[in-house]
Amino acid sequence: MNPLRPLLRAERDNVMAVVTATTTDAAASARLIAAEERGGARLTAASLVTPATVLVAIGLLIPLVILFRYSLNEFVAQRKLMVEAVTVANYVKFFTDPYYVNILVRTLRVSVTVTVICLVLGFPLAYVLARTQSRFKNLLIMLVVLPLFVGNAVRAAGWMTLFGSKGAINATLMGLGVITTPIEIMYTETAVIIGIAAVNLPFMVLSLQSVIEGISRDVEEAAFSLGAHPVAMFRRVLWPLALPGVLAGTILTFILGMNAYATPVLLGGPKFQMMGPLVYGQFAGVNNWPFGAAISFILMTATLLLTVAANVIVQRRYKR
Amino acid sequence: MTSRFVLSRRAALRGAAGVAGAAALGAPALAQANKKVVVGTWGGDYSRLLAKNIETPILIPKGWEVVKDEAQDPARRAKVLAEKSLRRGTTDIQALSANNMYDMNEAGTLEPIDYSKIPNAANLLPEMKYAWGLGHIYSGKVILYNPKLIATPPTTFADTLDPKHGNKLGIIDIQYQYTMMAASLASGGAMNNFEPGKARLLECRKAGVRIYPTNEALAQGLKNEEIGLCIMWKARAVQWQNAGIPVQTVAAKEGVPLFVSGMCIPKNAPNKDGSYAYLDAMLTPSAQEAFAIDMGYNPTVKNAKVAADVQKRIGFDEEEQARLKDLDYGYLSSNDSAFKEWWDKSFKG
Repeated sequence: MNPLRPLLRAERDNVMAVVTATTTDAAASARLIAAEERGGARLTAASLVTPATVLVAIGLLIPLVILFRYSLNEFVAQRKLMVEAVTVANYVKFFTDPYYVNILVRTLRVSVTVTVICLVLGFPLAYVLARTQSRFKNLLIMLVVLPLFVGNAVRAAGWMTLFGSKGAINATLMGLGVITTPIEIMYTETAVIIGIAAVNLPFMVLSLQSVIEGISRDVEEAAFSLGAHPVAMFRRVLWPLALPGVLAGTILTFILGMNAYATPVLLGGPKFQMMGPLVYGQFAGVNNWPFGAAISFILMTATLLLTVAANVIVQRRYKR
Repeated sequence: MTSRFVLSRRAALRGAAGVAGAAALGAPALAQANKKVVVGTWGGDYSRLLAKNIETPILIPKGWEVVKDEAQDPARRAKVLAEKSLRRGTTDIQALSANNMYDMNEAGTLEPIDYSKIPNAANLLPEMKYAWGLGHIYSGKVILYNPKLIATPPTTFADTLDPKHGNKLGIIDIQYQYTMMAASLASGGAMNNFEPGKARLLECRKAGVRIYPTNEALAQGLKNEEIGLCIMWKARAVQWQNAGIPVQTVAAKEGVPLFVSGMCIPKNAPNKDGSYAYLDAMLTPSAQEAFAIDMGYNPTVKNAKVAADVQKRIGFDEEEQARLKDLDYGYLSSNDSAFKEWWDKSFKG
């Protein structure tokens, strides 16, 4: 039997306690509500829940229902008008045309790549942030969040000055004599991946950092004291315990990647298409609302399915 | 009981104060409501110059308040269409290109223009007078080249949209219609037949043509010599020359497709008196002359006087004027979706 197992189990329970903080909060509020009910204020729960529910219903569910209805309508291309109908033609068009399927595949590829990059770069950073005893810890966390202080478009503009054929990177390399003709970075998939990864990294780091902080340093030291190599410690102790944070971070990063708009438009250029800009183009550019609505639903479904699948897989592994 | 009495007295006082306040604030607001014009327009220079040349000198002194709804035209068109079923829309004027105005009218969103309410329209060029809108300024699609990079000046669209230029040729994504039009004219097509130009564009693509998302991005490409030639409105060329970008212009032998930027009134505009006041102000000779100087576009009224040197840079001589080609709006509108699909899938894809 692994001598660490009891310790690990206790630690896992600790982490679960952190991860399920919301559940605990819910329990606390349930107790509060019960107390209030005893006091006679039976309507409090309803009055607390109603505003948010109404807001979500009006602001999200109703538009989604309308959008779904639009996705079943027809589009008269000659007059650029939507005509009421009940047809799945828009969905069929998407999945039977390699052009659109490629855009979905490209979006998935970019999102997965970005998520992996964020995880690889974000984990060590999150670990250092979680473990540091420095009095500048808060400042360091602020530095991680700093890129989120400017909008996506502004940040992309910054990348554009770096990536252009006479941008900082090319100018430096040419100045040093490393290259003679500029490297094409702007308007490529690489530029888009770098751009989105930079936007998403703080989300990954913060998700991981909060969970790693909840993992006691003692379990790591216990592993070392039993002769575990750092790699073994990471693989068998740290990583399994940090999985909930990894899951939260990857889901956030993946969803943001799937729905990216400004970065692919500005850094990917006209020839590089992803799902977000495609939806906008159909609605605003060619006024094809039915097809735009269908693409929105395909994007939303793909994102949801993959997110749920990742969740299920990780949860299953976590239970082992 | 006492506390209840105090509360209700306070409530009564608050209520009274509220009513008085609302009356005080609301009365002038109501009185001014019919002096407010909401203008949907592109942002940037165009919006700034609307304020400088039309609103500040002409409308504001007459008591009008102008509010801008700034966005690119696709977003504004989508908004007008979305508001179509509303009794009251949110804009009184929309600034759109002539072909977009045609589209919006086809979609049943525009008010037929009553020219009797626009005294200045008496001088409007007949070709800028549509049943659903008015031309505000115009220019034409010409060839731009940088003499440093392109040794032999092109004279035709065929010389320009030629694969031999490789990645020194630049194309603007959002101007797919005009690019297909020019390629078609270069390949024996016509203003109502873009098919012959497609093969030429695909060859340019294969040769490495650079595609820029916007006019501004293309200007940047010209400036840093990424590209040496392109096609563009003559007015833009003038602006870029003023900004120090070394480009020369040539009116292509095949013709000069017209670009008309106009204004129209959404059917459900909340203040149509304001719409007409704006349209009339926009045709005032002084405003038209200022746009020629500031933006390099030609006036659409006959009584605007443009200095000879400015006219030489922005306008077209007699021979070139004979080659001005108005667009076939019906053809463009009914095929636009197909053009865009071809552009996205076959040309860019």
